[in-house]
Amino acid sequence: MFFRPKMHVEDFEAAAMPHLADLYRSASLLIRDSSEAEDLVQEVYLEAWKSFHRFAPGTNCRAWLFKILFHRLHHFRRRLIKASRVETFASPGEEENFMAEPPVPQEIRDEDVLVALEKVPLDFREAVLMADVEEFSYREIAETMRIPLGTVMSRLSRGRKLLRAELAEVARSFGIKQRGEAAGQGGSV
Amino acid sequence: MKVLNFNSQQCERVRRQLDAYLSNELLVETTSEVLRHLESCESCSHELDARTRLRKALRKAADQRVPPEHLREVISRRLRREQNGFFGEFRVIPWAVALASLVLVVVAAQQGLRLERGRQLVSSVLAIGVSDHIQCAIKGHNYPEVANPQDQLRKKLGAEYAGLLPIIQQKLPGFQVLEAHICQLPGNPRKYIHFITRGQGTILSVTLTKRDGESLPVQRLLVTKDFSGSDLYHAKLEGMSVAGFETDEYFGFVVSDLGQNEILRLAAAIAPPLRDALDRSIGTNTSATPVFLVDSVSSDLARKIE
Repeated sequence: MFFRPKMHVEDFEAAAMPHLADLYRSASLLIRDSSEAEDLVQEVYLEAWKSFHRFAPGTNCRAWLFKILFHRLHHFRRRLIKASRVETFASPGEEENFMAEPPVPQEIRDEDVLVALEKVPLDFREAVLMADVEEFSYREIAETMRIPLGTVMSRLSRGRKLLRAELAEVARSFGIKQRGEAAGQGGSV
Repeated sequence: MKVLNFNSQQCERVRRQLDAYLSNELLVETTSEVLRHLESCESCSHELDARTRLRKALRKAADQRVPPEHLREVISRRLRREQNGFFGEFRVIPWAVALASLVLVVVAAQQGLRLERGRQLVSSVLAIGVSDHIQCAIKGHNYPEVANPQDQLRKKLGAEYAGLLPIIQQKLPGFQVLEAHICQLPGNPRKYIHFITRGQGTILSVTLTKRDGESLPVQRLLVTKDFSGSDLYHAKLEGMSVAGFETDEYFGFVVSDLGQNEILRLAAAIAPPLRDALDRSIGTNTSATPVFLVDSVSSDLARKIE
């Protein structure tokens, strides 16, 4: 401990700051409250800085930061669960007829996707975000979230299906609302 | 979605692989197998389009979440505060911390030694007051049960010190001056002015003796301040509480078996006026040698106190 090399915050910032937008994006999609997402990202950076001496230059800084993010996130969530017995999701059955997959609309509005995503249980949402938004490999996801590779694959598959189903539901209700508004303008229901 | 010719086992297998295909996690040969199937199967090709569209839509929607402008600056500031903070959160140069601790230990040890020497010096001076009180007032019992008359006490004190009597009487409420005299222990040339009082169910002495150039150590940790802000020293010796103070030429002591706080309180009350009176009298009588009356004391009081 006496011979730890001196770290410069500038070096740390040069390596870590380019990933701020990605970290915030994921944090804000996994925590409902935006100010809590901000706090979480700040904590990630402070923790990363404290252990920067353990970070091997040239390795994947982004993956390292996400690892800290998920560690913090799970810690944060455990606290929430302790504080208020939040709902536990009944895990949907793994085997489901792929014939039942709903259509994906041709035009998809951002807000519909975000609403649908929020309805996807966290474990699955995390997998989908890590693979489809942050574009990490299965192996990186497994390491970051500390779950087996097989679990990554099943959660991703399940998560994509759930998102698709929720999106179809959101789009359907939006369509009904639009039709309702159009009918309302016409003077009859 | 209506799917024709879907029941083929190949479609089922390919669809199971679509997730991995989308994530670019398939082996090359499996990928080409999937591609070959997609070319010939409209249904699976549609399904891939749908999934790709969803993936792109998700990516685009997620990009709406951009960090607030201040976040980067807030993080930067916190990082710098962390780096420059108190010992950088104990990570900056632990050597410095170790060295500082060592210096602290050495300084504390030196201070401790100095303090201990100071305490010994204070004790040796305060022991004079305690001894005078014990030998003359307690063992010698050189006081009457009923207080001696004022004029007799004034006479015993002589012109030089008679003026101190009212100070003792006024500043020690609840105490009665039974006896006052100039005292000298057998075999010891040192003389002292001795007021023996009774109050709070016990006997209390106020004594004044020449310093002869001696001084009490000036150390913050050894002293308490009296009302005028001057230093008071205290000790517990031979079962007695003693408070001591200095004037220009005298050591003053207040001694009794009362508690330390009470003794300090009483000493704080009489030290400033006694100091004033003594320093003034010395100022006007510098050449006059005080007339000491040697009082009768028991012969076994030959204890020399240095």
